Amino acid sequence: MIEIKDLHKSYKMGSNSLHVLKGINFKAEEGELVAIMGSSGSGKSTLLNILGMLDEADEGEYILDGVPIKNLSETKAAKYRNKFLGFIFQSFNLINYKSALENVALPLYYQKVGRKERESKALKYLEQVGLKEWAHHLPNELSGGQKQRVAIARAMAAEPKVLLADEPTGALDSTTSYEVMDLIQHINDAGNTILVVTHEEDIAHMCKRIIHLRDGIIVEDKKIEQVRASQYVQ
Amino acid sequence: MFNRDTWQEIWHSIKNNKLRTFLTGFSVAWGIFILVLLLASVNGMQNGFYKQFNDDATNSIFIYPNATSKPYGGFEAGRRIQFKNDDLDFIKGSYAGSYEYISPRFNRGVNAKYKQETGTYTIVGVSPDHQLIERTLVENGRYLNKRDLQERNKVLVIGDQVRKELFKDDDPVGQFLIANDLVFKVIGVFTDDGNEREESNIYAPYTTMQQIYGNTDEINMIAMTYNPSYDFTRALAFSDTMEEVLKRRLVIHPEDQSAFFINNYAEGFSNIQTFSNFLTFVAIGVGVLILIAGIVGIGNILIFIIKERTKEIGIRKALGARPIEIVKLILMESIVITALSGFGGMLFSMGVVALISPIVDAPAFSNPNVDNTVVIICTVVLILAGVLAGLVPSIRAANVKPIDALRAD
Repeated sequence: MIEIKDLHKSYKMGSNSLHVLKGINFKAEEGELVAIMGSSGSGKSTLLNILGMLDEADEGEYILDGVPIKNLSETKAAKYRNKFLGFIFQSFNLINYKSALENVALPLYYQKVGRKERESKALKYLEQVGLKEWAHHLPNELSGGQKQRVAIARAMAAEPKVLLADEPTGALDSTTSYEVMDLIQHINDAGNTILVVTHEEDIAHMCKRIIHLRDGIIVEDKKIEQVRASQYVQ
Repeated sequence: MFNRDTWQEIWHSIKNNKLRTFLTGFSVAWGIFILVLLLASVNGMQNGFYKQFNDDATNSIFIYPNATSKPYGGFEAGRRIQFKNDDLDFIKGSYAGSYEYISPRFNRGVNAKYKQETGTYTIVGVSPDHQLIERTLVENGRYLNKRDLQERNKVLVIGDQVRKELFKDDDPVGQFLIANDLVFKVIGVFTDDGNEREESNIYAPYTTMQQIYGNTDEINMIAMTYNPSYDFTRALAFSDTMEEVLKRRLVIHPEDQSAFFINNYAEGFSNIQTFSNFLTFVAIGVGVLILIAGIVGIGNILIFIIKERTKEIGIRKALGARPIEIVKLILMESIVITALSGFGGMLFSMGVVALISPIVDAPAFSNPNVDNTVVIICTVVLILAGVLAGLVPSIRAANVKPIDALRAD
């Protein structure tokens, strides 16, 4: 599903440049739930951004579902993002003047899905994350956990090949974090490929595989016994 | 392009940014408003000028005799110049085609009497052409005609003031008026738009007047209009040569400035025309400056809007919005706001001008109004230019890497 070879990325900081990714090789199959761990500055978010086509690598190959991702125009990148990828951000990134339903329907709007179908689909995904009753509320009327569930529903709505979550629980308390992880596990159980960036051990252990990044290289890549989040959720 | 979703996006955005929307709209509407008022004021001033000259035909030339100031050809200085019928015939013969209408004036003061009413008036002996030179409007009856001239009929066309004073409520046409003990028949009543003093005059055939007052061929003044197809330069050249030739004919020193006067309206008009062109030029200049200020204002606000929405743009891009959809999102909103407020401001200001226009009628400022086409063009230019001003920043915003946009706050 995802294949990257010898990926390099550096940022220019004034006169000197900061080498963030120093040759990453990594493969993820369909249906995997991968945690990308590392301390801050290890390059984990940069990796996720490149995987999400939000940023570009300087060197290396990236093949997503058999499509090489290289030198894309913004229009083409937009099309791929829409078709292949769903994003879950630490700070939710909901559009604050749009209702939960409209937020969830937005990727479908850019897929040129008709209005009626868009709404019914968005409502379906809101129901999946347990927020059907909150469909017409604005983000600032929702709690943090609810916002993240709306964001997850939005990421799911476009039915992407891969879900990319950047610290999805970073802004949430532990109870809410487990609820969100429970949801992510359920989505993964249904066969979706998910990559989660986190620095929290307990969150990482709720995935099926952990990749450790340190100073821009992968230092550890292991399959683990998944801890189910449902046991922490009443 | 404008489907329900687009409208909803625009509506959302406007609803959530009422102050910003108001400020954008207000600056556009205000710009148009000022522009319209400016154009209307200039127009009002121009109307005022032309109105002051509207009394007589705008291409009039009047020739008044006076006295010489230089000795010449055996004559001493101070000789009174007297025009005669053959001077008139000479001009007619020499300048056919250069003049449009021509008429002598032969003035005599009279005591006029109708029934019990009496008054002192001036009877001006003229030819039928005079009606068109003086822009006399015949209200009732008719003006003098060729037959009156040939048959030296004792007929009069009286001014409306004369009618009011002597005839009160009677219809003067067909009545007889006694002027200095001679009986004249009134054939018409006239008014004169630009000059109410004119309405205290009485017109008669100049042939009749010359016969009554000494069987003379003298005339007091020559009134004419030049060929209306002439421009100012040509009109002035015409009166200059005529002056030269008349001086030769009447044996006057070529440099003598006081023997007679030629008053050519082209002179004043060319000054007014120059001034009015200058005003138009200033109006266009200031108008362009206002438009530029408006454009800069719209561009400024758009840049601010884009800055404010950078993160939202990043989110939309992450969700799969193409750059063109981002540009559309920003520009559509600004087009709707500027178009609505632009046309709103336009209608409001045109309404104000339409209300004020009939009320304002001072000598130098009359009926300010605006050319609708000009205003509509200005509004459309402002809207288009505003959009163009917003195009560059919105395209730049749409092509920013989503990760950079998402980091913005």
